[in-house]
Amino acid sequence: MDSGYYVAYAGFAARMQALDVVASNLANASTSGYKSQSPFYRALAAAQEGEVLSPLNQAVNKFGILGGSRVDVRSGSLQPTGVATDLAIEGDGYFTVQTMAGIRYTRNGSFQLNAARQLTTQDGDLVLAEQGTKLVPITVPTGAVSVSPDGTISVDGALVAKLHIVQFAPGTEIEPEGNSKYIAPAGSERTAVGENVRQGMLESSNINPVAGAVDLIVLQRQADMMSRALSVLNTDFNRPATLDVPRV
Amino acid sequence: MIRALYTAASGMLAQQMNLDNIANNLANASTTGFHNRRLQFQDLIYQNTVVPGSAATQQTTLPAGLQVGLGVRPASSEIIQTEGNFDATGNPLDLAIQGNGFFQVTLPTGDLAYTRSGAFHLDQNGNVVDEQGDSLTPNITIPSNALSITVGTDGTVSVTLPAQIQAQQVGAIQLATFANPGGLNSVGQNLFQPTTASGDAILGTPGGSDGVGSIQQGNLEESNVSVVSEFVNMIIAQRSYEANSRVIRAADEMFQTVNGLTQ
Repeated sequence: MDSGYYVAYAGFAARMQALDVVASNLANASTSGYKSQSPFYRALAAAQEGEVLSPLNQAVNKFGILGGSRVDVRSGSLQPTGVATDLAIEGDGYFTVQTMAGIRYTRNGSFQLNAARQLTTQDGDLVLAEQGTKLVPITVPTGAVSVSPDGTISVDGALVAKLHIVQFAPGTEIEPEGNSKYIAPAGSERTAVGENVRQGMLESSNINPVAGAVDLIVLQRQADMMSRALSVLNTDFNRPATLDVPRV
Repeated sequence: MIRALYTAASGMLAQQMNLDNIANNLANASTTGFHNRRLQFQDLIYQNTVVPGSAATQQTTLPAGLQVGLGVRPASSEIIQTEGNFDATGNPLDLAIQGNGFFQVTLPTGDLAYTRSGAFHLDQNGNVVDEQGDSLTPNITIPSNALSITVGTDGTVSVTLPAQIQAQQVGAIQLATFANPGGLNSVGQNLFQPTTASGDAILGTPGGSDGVGSIQQGNLEESNVSVVSEFVNMIIAQRSYEANSRVIRAADEMFQTVNGLTQ
């Protein structure tokens, strides 16, 4: 089997994986705080450059496979909900939450109060505030909650806590962990400057339905091309090689 | 074909933002002192297959290059400064500006903000404040036993007190203008804040030669949104969106034809 056959298959498989990413974006069109992911491809050289190639291994193909997916960090549009514990960050900051697996970051600001009146996410993870250099959970006393644009929570005018909002340098690898949470390399977070926290609003998903539809079209047509290449290579090269040549 | 797909996608995105802007204008068609915004578009970079002006031979130059554009992007949304119609309400504290100026108010944070909406009220201490309670700056206090309040076209505020024939002056309203009012930052709540693009506020006395306009008491300035123009813009945005989606469909069909070449 010549390597052209495997290259075409690798391209086809990469398109199928990219389709999974695009489908996940479209499925999360109404998840608040969701950041769309865009797959990117990379070339994988079958043989090292300059290596002496044996007559049996003349692979000249650079396989095109999926290199990963990049998170689109632009913010989605803000929607007013009227709930006092719904928060949205206008800018590129993230809320800090404490999970059983460690510190995570999220943009999904649909928080609620648990039985102990601590501010938690929808999964029950505690939202963290800064107290000096430590990060502590937030306990909200009864009363009218108000959150100022710099993240300070106060109840009936009395200061309760200041939310720990972090920013990342452009290009930091922020990986989605699922459940609206992101993991970033330890130590890469910086305290946010100039963030604007809006109370009573939620950030909607930043996916772009037009781009999703165009990506689907492109993926479909390119996958079609790969499958044509596969069938041509099979019918015109591999099958004669395996069936006709031995008959000599 | 792929280039056409992404170009058409950029067109659809631009028209989506256009529609968002039109929706905001229409939603604020009855907001006092609202100024509508108009989106302006720019073409994106061009891919140069042949740079214009390149030499064909040693003596001749090619008359035209071969450049293909890559789409459109919304560039800016400028505030249209036309004046809205005046609505005569008869309220002594409803003020409208005939001309270019803005009222100056102080926010609870201490920053100054500017507004065209002249629907003022009195707070519990008699200060003139807007609908959010932000006080008019320079501050004007109306005594609690005032019988009537008169605001002249030059901004002079005078009140008549009981048992007095002569009206007493309690203050003067000043209006602010900007070198580039289109560059003001809209912060919501009918308020604008100055930016580096708009220039600093220049305070002036209304009705005079400072060019800040005059104050009409008892009137409110309605929104300057023209519902008819917005509807026309909406039709154009919708048809452009459809046209771009046709391009995507055509590019898709061409791509399909290419794939059908091998059999």
